[in-house]
Amino acid sequence: MTEGGNPVPPPYVLDLSILTEVARGDAGVTGLLLILDGRGQPLVLPVLAVLQASLDARTADADRALRGIGRLEHAEFAPLRDAVQAAGLASVISRTGLDQADGHVAYVADVSVCRILTMDAAKWREHAEKLDKPLHFVEYAEPDDDTNA
Amino acid sequence: MSGRKERLEVEVDPRLHAYAEHLVAVGQAASVSDVINDALAERERQDREALDYVRETAARADQGKMARVLAHIDRQAAALPAT
Repeated sequence: MTEGGNPVPPPYVLDLSILTEVARGDAGVTGLLLILDGRGQPLVLPVLAVLQASLDARTADADRALRGIGRLEHAEFAPLRDAVQAAGLASVISRTGLDQADGHVAYVADVSVCRILTMDAAKWREHAEKLDKPLHFVEYAEPDDDTNA
Repeated sequence: MSGRKERLEVEVDPRLHAYAEHLVAVGQAASVSDVINDALAERERQDREALDYVRETAARADQGKMARVLAHIDRQAAALPAT
């Protein structure tokens, strides 16, 4: 249950497009994640996606932002823990053609039954049916920008 | 910093243990416990600084746009099959 007494919703896995905006200091994306956290929404940050967002930005502020999001009350980092997980990730990447960062996002969403939060629904629409169970995703977009209807 | 200390049993890398003892031996720390305490305090400070940073970033957000995006996300989530 959340602090408000509601059932805990399924976690959102933050994909590379979201983490890239966090690293760039986008106020809207960062603000939304804080609101979700305040509602008790679990947020998952796959470490390979965090790694790529940090590599793409390479600034101290970007690393501070990624660290800060990971320290929200309902956020957690998803590591790549052992050879079993590495093999599982390799299988997902092989089947989807995703890069390692979003491959890790897909792997975490697949094994943990999480939803993916993205700014690029088209990418996930392309890959959603390539695994045994479909990937579910929601897009960060204003309704007028929506292409996920 | 609280003056009261709690006893904590931890395992550290031998290299870091040796470094902590070196700091004590050369007078740069009063005890190995102080070294560990300072390291944890520094990590806590960096985490707090990172959280403050994202809160400052979020404070610049367009509240109206954020509300519209959030409503849109909630509608999409509600339409997904239950997990």
